Parts: sequence; C-alpha cells; structure tokens
Amino acid sequence: MGRKAEFSEKPKKGPGRKSRKQKPPTFPKKSFAPSNDMDDKKLSHRQRQRLVKRDQKKEIQKVKKQKLNKQQRKISEGADVIDEAELQNKYITDKPQVLAGIQQHFKFKKQKIVGFTDDNKDWLKPKQLKKLKKLQSSDDQDQEMYEAEKSEEDLLEGLTESEEEENGEDDTCKETLKMEKLDDISDYDDENANSDDDFELSGEEDTDSTNNKSKDDEVDDSLLPIERENKKLKKREAMEAEMATKEMQMSIDRQEVFKFPEEDEDTQKEITLQEIQQRIKDITLVLSDFKRYRQEDRSRQEYLDLLRHDLCIYYSYNDFLMGKLMDMFPLTELMEYLETSEVPRPLTIRTNSLKTRRRDLAAALINRGVNLDPLGKWTKVGLVVYNSQVPLGATPEYLAGHYMIQGASSMLPVMALAPQENERILDMCSAPGGKGSHIAAIMKNTGVLFANDANRERIKAVVANFHRLGVINAIVSCEDGCKFRNLISGFDRILLDAPCTGTGVVAKDPSVKSTKNEVDVQRCYNLQRKLLLTAIDCVDAKSKTGGYIVYSTCSVLPEENEWVIDYALRKRNVKLVPTGLDFGVEGFTKYRQYRFHPSLNLTRRYYPHIHNMDGFYVAKLKKFSNTIPMTKEQQEADEKVLDDAIANATTMVNDNSNSNEELEYKEKRPRKLLGKQAGKPNLSEVELDIKKKKMEQNRNKYIANVFEKPLKVNKNEKEVKPVNQTTIIKKQNNKNELHMVELNGSKSNGTQIEFEAKNIERNNINTKKQKRDLPSLLEGKPIKRQHKLKQKSKPIGLLKNYKSKTHKTKKN
Amino acid sequence: MKRLSDERAKILFEKLSKYIGTNVKQLIDRPDGTYCFREHRDRVYYVSERILKLSECFGPEKLVCVGTCFGKFSKTNKLKFHITALYYLAPYAQYKVWVKPSFEQQYLYGNHIPKSGLGRITENAGQYQGVVVYSMNDLPLGFGVLARSTTECKTADPMTTVCFHQSDIGEYIRSEDTLF
Amino acid sequence: MDIVKEVLEKQQRDLEKYKPITVDKHLEVRLDVGSLLCTDPNDLEDNQLKNNREQYLLDLTRDNTQLLINSVWELPTERIDECIVAKLPEPTTVLPRLRKVPGPKPLTKWEKFAKEKGIKKKKKDKKVYDTTLDKWVPTYGFKRADAEKEKEWVLEVPKNVDPNEDMFQKKIDLRNEKVAKNEIQRMKNIVRAKKVEVPRGGYFGPEVASSGQLLTAVTVAKSSTASVGKFQDKLPKEKQARGIGVKELIPGAKRKASHISAQPEKEVNLDLIKSVLNKKPKYDIEKAISIQKNEDKLQRETNPAEKGKKGKKGKGGKSGKGGKKPKGGRGQRAPGKKTAVGRKRR
Repeated sequence: MGRKAEFSEKPKKGPGRKSRKQKPPTFPKKSFAPSNDMDDKKLSHRQRQRLVKRDQKKEIQKVKKQKLNKQQRKISEGADVIDEAELQNKYITDKPQVLAGIQQHFKFKKQKIVGFTDDNKDWLKPKQLKKLKKLQSSDDQDQEMYEAEKSEEDLLEGLTESEEEENGEDDTCKETLKMEKLDDISDYDDENANSDDDFELSGEEDTDSTNNKSKDDEVDDSLLPIERENKKLKKREAMEAEMATKEMQMSIDRQEVFKFPEEDEDTQKEITLQEIQQRIKDITLVLSDFKRYRQEDRSRQEYLDLLRHDLCIYYSYNDFLMGKLMDMFPLTELMEYLETSEVPRPLTIRTNSLKTRRRDLAAALINRGVNLDPLGKWTKVGLVVYNSQVPLGATPEYLAGHYMIQGASSMLPVMALAPQENERILDMCSAPGGKGSHIAAIMKNTGVLFANDANRERIKAVVANFHRLGVINAIVSCEDGCKFRNLISGFDRILLDAPCTGTGVVAKDPSVKSTKNEVDVQRCYNLQRKLLLTAIDCVDAKSKTGGYIVYSTCSVLPEENEWVIDYALRKRNVKLVPTGLDFGVEGFTKYRQYRFHPSLNLTRRYYPHIHNMDGFYVAKLKKFSNTIPMTKEQQEADEKVLDDAIANATTMVNDNSNSNEELEYKEKRPRKLLGKQAGKPNLSEVELDIKKKKMEQNRNKYIANVFEKPLKVNKNEKEVKPVNQTTIIKKQNNKNELHMVELNGSKSNGTQIEFEAKNIERNNINTKKQKRDLPSLLEGKPIKRQHKLKQKSKPIGLLKNYKSKTHKTKKN
Repeated sequence: MKRLSDERAKILFEKLSKYIGTNVKQLIDRPDGTYCFREHRDRVYYVSERILKLSECFGPEKLVCVGTCFGKFSKTNKLKFHITALYYLAPYAQYKVWVKPSFEQQYLYGNHIPKSGLGRITENAGQYQGVVVYSMNDLPLGFGVLARSTTECKTADPMTTVCFHQSDIGEYIRSEDTLF
Repeated sequence: MDIVKEVLEKQQRDLEKYKPITVDKHLEVRLDVGSLLCTDPNDLEDNQLKNNREQYLLDLTRDNTQLLINSVWELPTERIDECIVAKLPEPTTVLPRLRKVPGPKPLTKWEKFAKEKGIKKKKKDKKVYDTTLDKWVPTYGFKRADAEKEKEWVLEVPKNVDPNEDMFQKKIDLRNEKVAKNEIQRMKNIVRAKKVEVPRGGYFGPEVASSGQLLTAVTVAKSSTASVGKFQDKLPKEKQARGIGVKELIPGAKRKASHISAQPEKEVNLDLIKSVLNKKPKYDIEKAISIQKNEDKLQRETNPAEKGKKGKKGKGGKSGKGGKKPKGGRGQRAPGKKTAVGRKRR
C-alpha cells in the first residue's frame, strides 16, 4: 500500500493556523548607505564611536604600509637578518602572492606556469610583482580620475568631518578599486580579504605610503601612550585575524592544486569524508579541462577510477552501480544526480477521481492542517504535500479512499497509457495498486481492469487499495506474468511496470545503492524482456481504441530500459509512439558502444535532479500486427534462453540459433572488461587470460551458490509451450514427459512396481538381518544402555505412546 | 468463483436487508447490466457478470479477487460483512448515524459510539437496526448496529453506548492481513 | 537220472515260456526310478507296427518294463513282513502342473490404500521394553494379555463418564468390536478378491435379520436406480433407514443436490429477496409492551411541555372551547373539599 512509504520522519510542523492568515510583516527596504542629510543632524553616540574607530583603522593601515615598505626593500636587497615581527610579515606577504599566482595559473589563460608549489615561490615572486605593477600602474590613472571626481563630490559635505571622511574614503576607494583589479586578474573574490593584502601586494602602493608615513608618525606622536598601546594591540589582533584567514585559504588552495595520491598513501592513510568531498571536487575540476590540469604521468582513466572510488565511498554506492551511472551522465550532471538522490522526493498524493475532486480534497486536507499545492500542470489529480500535522496515511479521507499516496513519477506511465472507457486493460505487475487504481479512475470504473502480480503477499495490498479506492471493475490475480499469453489475450492496453533494480528510487530505498550488482541487473532485464514480449503478445493489434503497451521502470539504467525496448522492437511487430508526456528527457539512442533504434528518442526518462521526481522511464509501444515475425521454434528457443538467463544469471545468453544480437552481447563483454582495466597495471596477455579465467570461475562459483535451480528447465519448457505447435516439438515434449515420469516414479508403471517390490524385499531382508543381530548385540549389556540402543532403532511414536501410558498410570 | 447456495444467499440477503432494507432489490435488479454474488474461498463477491466471465480464465488458486468483496462466511455459516461492503451499503442505507468530529478518530479506532459522540441520527430507527456511520461532513466511516432506538437515544445519558461498532474504514489499515 | 532229466527239461520248458530278463536295446532307455518312469528313445519298427501292431507294442512294453524292474532290483532291498521292499530314489523327471499358476494375491483395501499413499509397513519389534513393568513385554501373542492385565490393574474413570460404568468391561467391548470390525473387513476383502457380487446392505438370512437391517436393505434397494431413487414411489408411512454407517450405504445420500436451478440466477435471487423482505417479524409481546410503554412515557413527557408553552404564550385565555373559564372556585363542586367563596386576596 502506498502508506508503506516512510513517514517516520515527521515533516516539520509549520506555523500555526493563525500565521497562515497573517502574513509576515514586511519592512520598507532601508538603504544603509550614508544619507546626504547626515551633516544636518547631530551625530548620535554610536555614529561618533564608529567615526573614532574609522580613524584608528586608518592609522593602523598606515603603519602597516610603512612596515611593508621596509620589508620590501629588505627583500629586494636580499637581507638575511629579520626580526621576528618581520618574519611574520614576510610570511603573510609571501603567501598571497603565491596564491594569487596559482589562481592566475588556474584561471588565467595567458599565463602558463605549471606545477606551482611552495618551493619555487621565491623565484616566482619578482615576476609576479612586475606584472602586477604594470597592471596597477595603468589602473592608477583611472583611479586618480575617480578620486578627483570623488573629492569634488565630497566638497559638498561637511568641513572637518568630510576631510577625514575623504581621507578614509580615499583609502577605501583605492582598496575596493584595487580589489576589483585583482579580481580581474585572478578572479579572486574573497569577501573578507582585507584591504591589507592588496596593499602589500602592490608595489606601487609603497610610494604612496612613504608620503603617508611621515603623517602617520606625526599622528603617532600626538597620541597618548595608552592609545599607542591600544593601537599596537589592535594591529596585532588584525594581523592574527589575517593570518587565520590566510591559513584557511592556504589549506583550501593547497588542495586546489590537485595532486594525484600515491597508491601507498592511499592505502595507508585514513581519509575523512570531507577530504573525499574535496577530492571529488578537485577531480571534477581536473576532468573538466583535462589538458590543462592533468598531471603528465596520469591518464584520464586513472582520474576516473579514483573519482569513482571516491564517489562510491562518499555516497556509499557499490562500484558497479557507480560505474554505470558515470557512464550515463556527464560529470557535472552526475554530481547533481547523486546529490539529489540522497534527499527524498516531496510527498505527493493522487486524488481518487472516482470519489472526490481535487479541489474538495485539497480543502478537506487543508482543514486538517496539511500544507499542499497542485503538483503541476501536467496532472489534474496530483497534489504535493509540503508538511502536514497529521499522518497522511491515516486521515479519514485517506481511509475513505479519497486519495492515494503515490510518487509523482508513478502517475506518468498511466498518463502515457491514456486508458479509455470500456476497454480491457491489463496491469501486469500491479502491486501495490497505485497505478492500477489510477487506470480504473480514468476509466471511471467501466470496462475491465486486470491487475496481476506474482507476489502473493503484495497482491493483498492491491486488493486493499482497490477496495478502499472504490475500484469495482477489477480482476485481481496472482499469476506469473509470463504465462499470460496462454491464459488470456486480446487486451486493448497493457501497462507493464516491470520489476527492476530500483536504481531510480535510491532515496526511498538506499540499500539499492550497495546491494545491486551486475548479476541482479542481468536477471532483471532478462525478466523484463520476457514480460514485455508476453505483454506484446497479449495485446490485440486490431483493437479499435488501443493496441498500446506502456513499459515503465523505476530504474535509470539503460540496460533495463532502452535495451529492453530495443529487444522488443526487434522481436515483435511493434513501434514506438510518443508517450504523450510533454516533459522528460529523451531516451538514449546510443549509450556507450551500443546503438539503439533511433525511434527510442520517443521514450522518456525522468531524473530526480531535473524533474524532482524519482528516476523513471516510460516508453509507449503500439502493436501494428498480431503476427509474430519468427517461427514458434525460434520463439521457444528465445524463451528458453531468457529463462535460463533468469535462472542462472550467468554470463550473457549464448545460443547459436538466436539472432546475431545475442552474439553482439557476447562480443561486447570482454571489450567492456578491457575498457575497465585500461588504467590498471599492464599485464601480459597470458596473465590477463589467467586473471580472466579466475574471475570467470569465481563468478560462476558465486552464481552457482546463489541462483542454481536444479531440473527446472524441463518444466519451464513444458509450461511455456503454446497450444498450437509443430509436431516435432510435441514429440520432444512427450519424450521429456516420459522421461520425467520415469524419474519421478509417482505414477505406477509395471516396471516401477517390480522395482519397488524388489526394493521392499531387499529392505525386508535387511531388517531381518538387523533383527537377528540386535538381540545378540544387546544381550551382554546393562539394561539402560540396551534401552538407549533400542530407542535409536525404534520408531519414536511407539516410545511416546508408552511414555504417555506410564504417565497415566503414575497419576493414578 | 461459485454461485452461492440458496441457504447462503438467503443469509446474505437477510443481512443486507438489515442495513439497506428494500434497497437490496436494486443490487440485483440493476439497469446497467446483470450483477451477481459469487463465493470464493468463503468470501462473497459482488460483481458484474461481464467481468465475472473474464475472470474464468484464471484458476481458483490464482484468482485473488473479483469486483467487490462483501464479507466472509464463517465456519458456522454466519456472514460477517467486511468494511469493503461499505461501498454499496452507504449509498443505499436507510438508517444513518452521524458522529461528531471529535469522536471521528475514536470511531476509526474501533470504539462503540456513545451518546456524547453522536452528532445526528435518523428518526424511527429501532433497536438493533443496522446503520451506516457517517462523519458530520457526510463521509461514510463504517457501519454498526444501534444499541438504543432513536427515541431511547434522546433520553440516554452521555456515556451510554448508542451504536455498536461493527466495522470502520480504519480496518483497511488495522486488519489488512485478515481482510483479504 | 531220467527223473532229473525230466525235471530239468520241464524247467527248461517252463523257462522257455518266459522271456529272458536281459533286453537288448539299440539305444539305452532313460530310467527315472524315483517316479518309476521309463522313456524309450528308440524308433518303432514300421514293418512290425503295420503287420502285428498289438503284439509288437506288447513286447516292447514288456521289454521296457523288464528294464525298469531290473533297475529296481539293483536298488538296495530289505525284507519287511515277508515282503521285499526297496526304497525308490528321488524322482528326477519334472512333471508339468495340472492347474495354471496362481496370480498375485489381490490387495486388500488397506494394502491398496497404503500403496497409493506410499505408506510403508513398519516392522515392530517382537518385544518392547515396558518402563512401568520394568521388563520386556511381547508386542503380541503369548503373555501379552497377561502383561496388559498386570499393567492396567486399575483404570481411571474420566470425568464426563458415568461413574458406575465398568471401565474394564468397556475396554473389552472395545476390543471385541475392533476384532469384529476386522473380521468384517477381512470378509469384505475376500469377497472383493473373489469378485463376488454382494448386495450393498449385505446378506441377511430370513431368520437373523432385524427390522432395522431390513429397512436399510429396502432403502438401499430403492435408491439403487440410475436416478438414485428420485422417482421411486413411497409407501404410506414409510420410514427412512437411519443409524451409524447407513448413510454410506445408501447411494446418493451423501451427494448434495445442486443448488443451481434451471431458473436464471437473477430471478432466483429476486425471489429470495422477496421472501426475505416479506417475512413477517416475530410477534414478541414483551417487546411490543416495552415499546408501547416507552411511547406512552414519551407522550407523557411531551404533553406537559405543550401546556407550559400555551401558558407562556398566553393563548389560554382566548380559546373558547378547550380552555375553561376560571370560575373562582365555584365551578366544580368537590364534596370533600372546603369551598371558599370569592378570591382570597392578600
């Protein structure tokens, strides 16, 4: 039932009822820029305080500039003796330059300096400075112009204050402007980067600061000793803060130069999730422009392998599935996909149009404190629930069947199916009945709806949902879907929501991420193919209104989707038609080395990161002829192959009588494996062969343990057999039957009786012998042990009888 | 799927007439085709003959449900209506009981209706009359049997049970396993 | 001497009358002394057989018999009661059977059933250790009953049983019944094996049969038609056979009549509904009384309320017919009541 969805996490309780009526207060937007009429008013206390601070700041900056100048000079002279403070300063100054350089290196195409590290910063610096100087000198002119303008404006402002302000503003202006320039160069937008960095960077600044320096000194002299102390302290604090930010930046930036980890390192070190996340980002960056960012000795495959490995760890996927996903999506999209797959999709419900209208339902639910909205323009029955104060799976409306909890994606295949009234429709894998009831609702309880599911437990949910939702035209059965061909056919439409690996609904069931492997996928798509062929056979092509099959899965893997459809297109007289859904990504026509039928672009894919619904696939087929374009024998062989594949799920199907498609698969497999191994150490051919063999063996072992089903083939063959068949096959079957009878021996044959009689005789003789032996064996032994021995040799019932009897007597 | 024996059919119709009175006729005598009752694993199903014919292609083991399930015959040949029968009982019901919104939830947990939970009641309903229970906004919630006649209800004190609970839509959740 | 000669000659003549005991044969005859059988493989002479058939065959038989006798004489002999007796060896010739070989025994009903279900016979041990008696007790046969007696010297009387009933006798009866049943089954098996037709009810001799048995026989016979006795006439006051195991004997008694009638289902259902709806409710006097009481009570409760309403609304004064005018104490005379003239005003 739909209510088995997880509601353990209650959505956050929204604001109360009143808040809905009352909008949150809105405030007129106030600009925090200094207004022009500031001078008219008297300054408030705070404003005055701020003013004082501003002054102090300015002075600190000036002091810094002076120091910088000194330092720079020292560097240029190559002085060795530096006191402690200066050392610190140097540290500070060096870093940003290097960093800026690195960033330039990354983002700025003109400069092509490769492999920056801390070691070679020394020789790099002067070059940088020159360049910066050049740039800044050109900037200066602009700046001066700007300053002039600014000063004119400022003239209008107050006298003393304005002077000071001007001073300050000049500085800030410079800062900001220079910031911009730097931004231009290095694309380096660090918000909290103080202006100090920039000052230090610019050599041009030095000349300015020399002028200022004298001023500063004067100011210093005028200050009280306490104030001076204060200044120093503040300076130090500022410096420390700076350093902290630097360090932060450092740590981030250092990683930005992505270094491929050594293999030994990789194994030895324990890496945290954050590190992995960072590494993922880095690798994606590298891969986005591989030519530039790669390390020379590393191939793309190595990067990809590492990325896959990291993604597997970070999102807890298994290697196989992640590989598949990486094949499907480009990297950026992959990240989005993975990220959105982690969070659950919004809870959606479908109005049961048999019992109510969407507007009424919405009103009723809002009364119960549910916050909801219509799902989208594409559906008239969907509602999306943001939060709710009551459990949605237990409201009286739910129980009365006014709605069904159902993912948005599950409505798509039904809409694609577009059932008409008075049709005969089959829902092949219907549990838990959401789609089936949707079909019935669209049919308005006319016609006949066959709902089938092979699972006896899950079929209960179908019955319950149908009754709750008031579906009265349904026949619910628990058949194997593949046998429908022999039971009933001539359907107008069939919906096949095939059982799949569920890679699209990872958010609902995270276990999929780690549990599904290649064997599972193979088993799934073989079953899907079989079901789809059955579905196609069951549809009546001559139906006036229909003749459609809709195939859908909640998986995103092309193996389970396009591949299956492609197979069906080849095997039956069907063609793809537009699904009638106006959104969704087109299905693949080519995927890696596979090329599918070009009309597969008519199918639709849905992804969590694009459509905000579960990963889904919908294809709509129309059958245009009832004939099957192959002989019965071939079909038999096909069926058998599929059966075997499902049962064994071993390597790809290999049957010579099959069309060359099967052969294709066979060919492709080893190639694929090779592709995967491309990054791994080069082995000689012999070694490779051995390895392959080993792998094959291992796989077979594993498979034998899990999926072996003895002696099932015969039975299947018999059951699959259609009614009218060539005589040859009948004969074969008869032979098989005879053989089976002999094996089973359930029916009494003449030979069988004899055989049994002999057996009995032999047994009798044996027992006689034993009996003859027993007493003699028992004679010499104490009674208790004799008893024990007897117990072993005796039917248990007898002993029990005796025991119970003895109990009775004891009671008496 | 087999036809009900006369004995069982009689039991069924008697039971139905307790809730919907003479409207039983309308279940059989319908303008939109012939409908009939069928028995499958002791459960009674009500289904159109057209659908029934199509269901014959399934073996009795494989067939789970056809149409609407009304109830189940016990081993002692007594019929117990399931909540699924409400789909047909509610529109034809002659005697109805409405419960107050405050009691709605309690009723859905399977409690009898006391006088305090009673919102409205049909006139002239006698004791032990089968009734369909509605919420105040006319949502059918289930069915039961009156413990007091309408006139008695008026004089009863608030805590006395007015209507015995027989089935409610909460059973879709509570007893999904046993119902189907 | 002559006499001697004469005697010898006479003997010679006597001997000539007999044939010699030695016989010459072209091929040796085969002798089976055990069954006194002699088989002559030599060909018959055609000439003699044609000319002198009887004599030839007689001679041949004599010769062969002589050979047989000779071989008998070769056996060791002894003299018992003046008779010479020889013990013949075991016969070597295998003689063909007189009758055909009997087929496998037909299975008894149980054996057949057991075979169908695959029930194998479990060999029981001859002796079983009994923990209460603390010794080995035979499963059947000699001393089995003794052991039983020894073990169950006292029996519990279950709660729901008449306390005066003899539990030992009951046990014996039970056993006898079992034995009898077994015997009947054995007989039935024999009958089945011999493929003899036996009436369903069994054979009843005219002297032995009870009326119940006869009644059963009649009922069985009556219902043994193609239409399981549906169209058989009934005698006035005819009884149906009853009792344990009788129903099984009557053909078709267990079969349920099909509830599917020729009428279309819809009509059948509508008839049923009609009958259900038209059923008159039971006439329950107590219920009726309680309902009546209830209604009365309600009426009483509602009436004073109406009066009050009237009074409040002030309609009372206007009504001409229904309401009476206040008479000021003069209107009605109650003999026991103290009459007051005029209205008291306080």
